[in-house]
Amino acid sequence: MTISIRPIQSRFAGEVSGIDVTRPLDAADVAAIEAGTDRYAVLVFHDQPLSDDQQRAFTRNFGTLEQAPGGHVAKPHERRLPPDMQDASNLDKEQRVFARDDRRRMFNLGNRLWHSDSSFRAVPAKYSLLSGRIVVDKGGHTEFADMRGAYDALDDATKAEVEDLVCEHSLLFSRGLLGFDVADDERAMFRPVRQRLVRTHPATGEKSLFLSAHAGSIVGWPVPEARGFLRDLTEHATQPGFVYSHKWRQYDLVIWDNRQTMHRVTRFNENLVRDMRRTTVAGDAMTVAQAA
Amino acid sequence: MPISITPLHRVFAGEVSGTDTTRPLLRDAVAAIEAGMDRYAVLVFRDQRLTDEQQLAFSRNFGALEETRGTGISTPGEQRLHPAFADVSNLDKDNKLLERDSRRRLYSLGNMLWHSDSSFKAIPAKYSILSGRIVTSAGGDTQFADMRAAHAALDDATKSEIDDLVCEHSLIHSRAMLGFTDLTPEDRATMRPVRQRLVRRHPATGGKSLYLASHIGAIIGWPVPEALAFIRDLTEHATQRQFVYAHKWRPHDLVMWDNRVTMHRVRRYDNALPRDMRRTTVAGTEMTVAQAGLAAE
Repeated sequence: MTISIRPIQSRFAGEVSGIDVTRPLDAADVAAIEAGTDRYAVLVFHDQPLSDDQQRAFTRNFGTLEQAPGGHVAKPHERRLPPDMQDASNLDKEQRVFARDDRRRMFNLGNRLWHSDSSFRAVPAKYSLLSGRIVVDKGGHTEFADMRGAYDALDDATKAEVEDLVCEHSLLFSRGLLGFDVADDERAMFRPVRQRLVRTHPATGEKSLFLSAHAGSIVGWPVPEARGFLRDLTEHATQPGFVYSHKWRQYDLVIWDNRQTMHRVTRFNENLVRDMRRTTVAGDAMTVAQAA
Repeated sequence: MPISITPLHRVFAGEVSGTDTTRPLLRDAVAAIEAGMDRYAVLVFRDQRLTDEQQLAFSRNFGALEETRGTGISTPGEQRLHPAFADVSNLDKDNKLLERDSRRRLYSLGNMLWHSDSSFKAIPAKYSILSGRIVTSAGGDTQFADMRAAHAALDDATKSEIDDLVCEHSLIHSRAMLGFTDLTPEDRATMRPVRQRLVRRHPATGGKSLYLASHIGAIIGWPVPEALAFIRDLTEHATQRQFVYAHKWRPHDLVMWDNRVTMHRVRRYDNALPRDMRRTTVAGTEMTVAQAGLAAE
């Protein structure tokens, strides 16, 4: 059976069939998935009951696994998953649901804000792969926004204005928006990095808006003006016409290209277990030189 | 000439004709405007060449006026207008444009966030009355969102979840959202958070509405990040296109809105052009937290 992709929206998000990603893939399959991701930015694979090792193996087809420290306030000994998997669940190491006021849960609530994974790293992520091991059936959707469509729909004056702007991204900013208190020893880990506001996709050459809740300033702008403008751009970029909302089924695997999308999770009842495991393909280039 | 109101939007906002607000109004005309406000929440009056005195006189038809002293950042000696006016311009005392990085301008950018005027006061505002003396044509629209329609469109589970929630509102919070933290200890004391119900009832119509504002920094009894994420979701719901009227200003428009049932914000505009907008504010008469028993329909 050969791989095929059914578009969910005209050129954004596709549903893949004809492939079992729990098994080794041949080069043609990998190329077809890469081409599909270039085109649709988000790919959905149903009925993929992956083990952690199978998820890692599948992910490595597309590059190196991101496992840099610094993305979370959970201490290494508190982690439920090894460092090459990001834990997007609401569970502690003993598989218990976090208490309502658990600090790790408070931190994870930042995922309710539109963001692009690892935009707070000098070299931001390429793909994220999220496996729904235990899903909730009310809420807990993952919503994706097409940053190419959002860029294309800007008027010419705004395109010209944003073309060469550079933003600073940090977890400090996104967590600050939710009033999360960052400890002093975490502050150094969250040092802002620079990213272009308009980036060009390395494979397709298409431009997209590189927005994220982590973006907290624009180099050379007064901060409140920058934040007001970034909010406006984010609102523009996440209009219903640019958004695909993924309602999870158990064992769905969703791949997205962080270089041309933002995403967020919607609210759900956190008394219920939601076990989502993410692997991340590291990017290979900075979008702009970092400040000295 | 009797007052008549033409709807400007599917769920709220109307344009008033047959009224000259520069002149004293008869009691019937005042009552007709109040009734129009109860129904439309936002009323637009075109071609009203008001002086400050006339705007004050018109506003006082609807109640006592708020004074701006003791709210916002202190700007002693910098006021351009009478203390009963909120200066929503981008001009300084000498009618010169504010510098890009001036503290007053950066503070005023908070008006780009959805809010309800004076929700940060224990007794929040009733009406705001905004006169467009010099308007900008590219950008600078004022958008309004109907918080009655937003409440009505919530699902039943959410309605019952929020019915008795109480929020804390403060200017410190809305400004912090834009990274504006340049506040003196006196400012911070002035801006101490106040409590407001999240669902309030209109005193005249009895209708419920969502009482949201970017000034909200907490929900009583909730962890802060969970509260703020939820308030963001509710705000996104409440400001969907079908609940929003965007007012494009013409010179000498007078726009009046009921803060008890709406939010509003200004859209970005070119700061190199003067925009002279003057607001009077009719004070409210009660605290929202005094509205007990809202759950009992």
